[in-house]
Amino acid sequence: MSLLELKDISKIYGELKALDNVSIHVDKGEWVAIMGPSGSGKSTMMNIIGCMDKPSKGQVFLDGVDISKESSRKLTEIRRDKIGLIFQQFHMVNYLTAVENIMVSQYYHSLPDEEEALEALGRVGLRDRAKHLPSQLSGGEQQRVCVARALINHPELILADEPTGNLDEANENIVLDLFRQLHREGTTLIVVTHDPEVAEAAQRTIVLEHGRVAREIINENFQE
Amino acid sequence: MNTKRKMFLKMVTASLLRRRSRMLIALLSIAVGATILSGLVTIYYDVPRQMGAQFRNYGANMILVPASGASMTTESASEALKEIPPDNLIGASPYRYVNVEMTSRQRTFIAAGTDFEQVMSTSPYFVVEGEWPRNDREILVGKETAELVGVKINSVMELSFRNEETKKRNRINFTVSGLLDTGGEEESYLFMTMKAMEDLTGITDTLDVMEMSVSAAEDELNSYAEAISAANPDISARLVKRVTKSEASVLSKLQALVLIVTLVVLALTMICVCTTMMAVVSERRREIGLRKALGASDQSIRAEFLGEGMFLGLLGGLLGTALGFAFAQFVSVNVFESSISFQPLLLPLTVVVSVVVSALSCMLPIKNAIAVDPALVLKGE
Amino acid sequence: MFIRMIRGALVRQRGKMFLIAFTIALGASLATAMLNVMLDVGDKVNQELKTYGANITVKPNSSTLLSSLYDVEDEGEQIETAYLNEEDVSKLKTIFWAYNIVDFAPFMKMAVTLEDGNEAEAVGTWFNHHLDLTTGESLDAGVVSLRSWWEVTDGSWIDEQNDPVNTIMVGRMLAVRQGWNAGQTVTLTGPRGSEEVTIAGIYDAGGDEDEQIYAPLDLVQKLNGLDGKVESIEVSAITTPDNDLAKRAAQNPAALSAADYETWYCTAYVSAICYQIQEAIPDAVASAVRQVAESEGSILDKTQLLMILITILSLIGAALGISNLVTASVMERAQEFGLMKAIGAKDYSITGLVMIEILITALVGGVAGYFMGFGFAQLIGHSVFGSAIEMKVMVIPIVVVLIALVTAAGSLPAIRMILRLRPAEVLHGSKT
Repeated sequence: MSLLELKDISKIYGELKALDNVSIHVDKGEWVAIMGPSGSGKSTMMNIIGCMDKPSKGQVFLDGVDISKESSRKLTEIRRDKIGLIFQQFHMVNYLTAVENIMVSQYYHSLPDEEEALEALGRVGLRDRAKHLPSQLSGGEQQRVCVARALINHPELILADEPTGNLDEANENIVLDLFRQLHREGTTLIVVTHDPEVAEAAQRTIVLEHGRVAREIINENFQE
Repeated sequence: MNTKRKMFLKMVTASLLRRRSRMLIALLSIAVGATILSGLVTIYYDVPRQMGAQFRNYGANMILVPASGASMTTESASEALKEIPPDNLIGASPYRYVNVEMTSRQRTFIAAGTDFEQVMSTSPYFVVEGEWPRNDREILVGKETAELVGVKINSVMELSFRNEETKKRNRINFTVSGLLDTGGEEESYLFMTMKAMEDLTGITDTLDVMEMSVSAAEDELNSYAEAISAANPDISARLVKRVTKSEASVLSKLQALVLIVTLVVLALTMICVCTTMMAVVSERRREIGLRKALGASDQSIRAEFLGEGMFLGLLGGLLGTALGFAFAQFVSVNVFESSISFQPLLLPLTVVVSVVVSALSCMLPIKNAIAVDPALVLKGE
Repeated sequence: MFIRMIRGALVRQRGKMFLIAFTIALGASLATAMLNVMLDVGDKVNQELKTYGANITVKPNSSTLLSSLYDVEDEGEQIETAYLNEEDVSKLKTIFWAYNIVDFAPFMKMAVTLEDGNEAEAVGTWFNHHLDLTTGESLDAGVVSLRSWWEVTDGSWIDEQNDPVNTIMVGRMLAVRQGWNAGQTVTLTGPRGSEEVTIAGIYDAGGDEDEQIYAPLDLVQKLNGLDGKVESIEVSAITTPDNDLAKRAAQNPAALSAADYETWYCTAYVSAICYQIQEAIPDAVASAVRQVAESEGSILDKTQLLMILITILSLIGAALGISNLVTASVMERAQEFGLMKAIGAKDYSITGLVMIEILITALVGGVAGYFMGFGFAQLIGHSVFGSAIEMKVMVIPIVVVLIALVTAAGSLPAIRMILRLRPAEVLHGSKT
């Protein structure tokens, strides 16, 4: 059953077609990587999927609902309720501790619950770092906190933008292991990346070029 | 809801405590604004009172005289004084004038009987060379008269007065305790105590005039004067126009000066507070973007930043009220040598203004930041 | 390249730089306005205090001397036998501090007999006497301005230029008792004859003058046959409040050291002005009217001190406001500086860049602020005193130094932060 479906969407900035008639679909529980060189429309697609932008043309179905015409206010609600975001540059509130950063997400979603937030931190192996400020955490640790933050509200979809872009190999593996774990639990994952290794970890890779879907690759070696 | 509120407070306090340097800047700027507000407003309210006291150096601004055909006694005059609130009455000097003769020169002078204690407060400009009279046999001699008749401090002079009723001439020896220098008509008079005058004339308890120094504005003085004249038909109360008119004009100018200075300084300071707050908030556009990406509604972002701004406003306002009062007190003690009374209303006023100003100055940058697409902010521009 | 970077910063960050320049302009205007008002407030308030009337009286010297010499023979009847000359009155405007003498009027009192046989006191004086001085200056002097607190309740003030000399003004009490009104003609009789006079106005002085008649000096001189004579002169002068030196000098100017004498003589102390009046007018004794002179001094002192303190407060406010904003806005750019460090910029070159940027902004803001402050000062001057505030040149360097110091001080914490900045940390993005 499809969780996300983009139907013939285009995004046009003046003369430039950032996305040109793209259609993709992602099933519930699927792990998909989106790859492509700079300027291929990755970011635009990521923004549209993440409900931070609207297509100029076409429809976006999330969980069977067309969200392409929703107001930005409604989009914020959808993002809050259904999507967990992970960024390349981590983006933590720098004056809040690790656990508090997770609780911010809970706060906007429903109710902050410190126990639950600590549990989430435990899942990414950082329970003992709960009271540390972002400046006291390494890059890998920060990204793991962000993963914990993304999954705290049990989103339908986790959308990660170059999640390993700023990480060394060891941390990259930790993060990918976390993704595998989430996948086993049935979470839908969309990972935007230009790193083939990260893409290979996914079940399926969609390659974008010049605003179009160039090809799709099914990963034969995918390990459950 | 409770946990939600707790998280709200946690975020606000964390932002205030852990971003210490920025928050101190914002707090400092609000506190400076609030200090100037409360300090200047206190001074503005206190200037008329304090300056008014200075103007009392000009001496009496109201006099009581017997109504035509009537006479005034110490008792009726003090009855009339009851119409003036005791706090406003700086002094009231009774005067009685008679012509006395200086025996050795066979010359007539105007002698005034009065209460020296009161004269010191109603006529602070009297400069006495030597001593004020300490008993009923000492007199103060105007400088002009002293030069005219050649008396000096500690000279003894005999004064006489002929009582028309008893047809008797009383003579008393007085010691000159001091010479009076005023640059005015008083320099040609002799001053003695009321008791001395009664001894000399044999006429008791009549007053020609009661000079009063009242700390009040012209309108108030007029209403006192009317009240006195109405309640005491034998007494007519009059304003010393030369003093009251001039005081009203100069004092209103001074107050206008402090008012407009206060307004200009306040307006400029408040704008300074705004610009600083704006700078402090615009710094956090990224954070606002992140919060939006995490699903924060515009409403809740606004609430958080306003909460922070208003908390700063509250703290700065309280701090500023205290500092402003300290400043006003410092000014008052140094300029007017008297302490200032705390205006309780100023506390809520200052706090409210600080909160409103800091909230307003947060609004604009927040509005700008909210309008920005979270995706753009997070890309790191 | 350096210049290009600065230009880039200034032009591309126009919004922020504008905010800083604007704040500096506000601070500078505040400083300019307050300093100018503070420096001028003394003169302004002094002018206002002139409504209290004369602060110096001049009397003939011989009146006291002569009578005390002959007082043994004197039977206590006619004391004042000496007079000043009316033609000497204008010499007041020839003394060193002539400019500070704003008003004066000569007086001559006499008893006149009214039509019903009652006596009243008539005071001869100038109302708005026109004087053309040898210096080429001309002015109108007299009681119209010297008795500004009088209210003319009926009729109007005497206008010496247009009204005939046989015109008088009558005190309220006397007018009520005599049943006189403005416009009426009455006869006044003195030792040298009678005159028919017209009442120009009735005044309410709120004092002894309400029982008197005020008449042109010429009329009174005619009535008592003392042509060209005056009894006393009241002078209203702008003075500097007395200090120790002035008090010592008032006792005996001769006892001062040469330097002290010079200082005293060349300061507008009331005693110095009195001394100079005595030098200018033969046989005159000038003395301060303490009621006015001392009160003026204290009010002036207090007002000036008050303004100084308010000025200091607003200067501190302006200084903190500016330095705060400068700090805040430099900190905001941490990332930019981190990047510059990362690509190899030396600490001092970044610091230099920041300082020069800020100083250029400060210069623009400061100049704009000076002119704004000029406006504010004039606003204050006109709305409070109805006259312009004199702009003192010395304010400019004060404001320049103040703004320079304040912006430099405001950049200090920011610069310290730049020096501590580790590029990796900034670019890593932990600075959200």
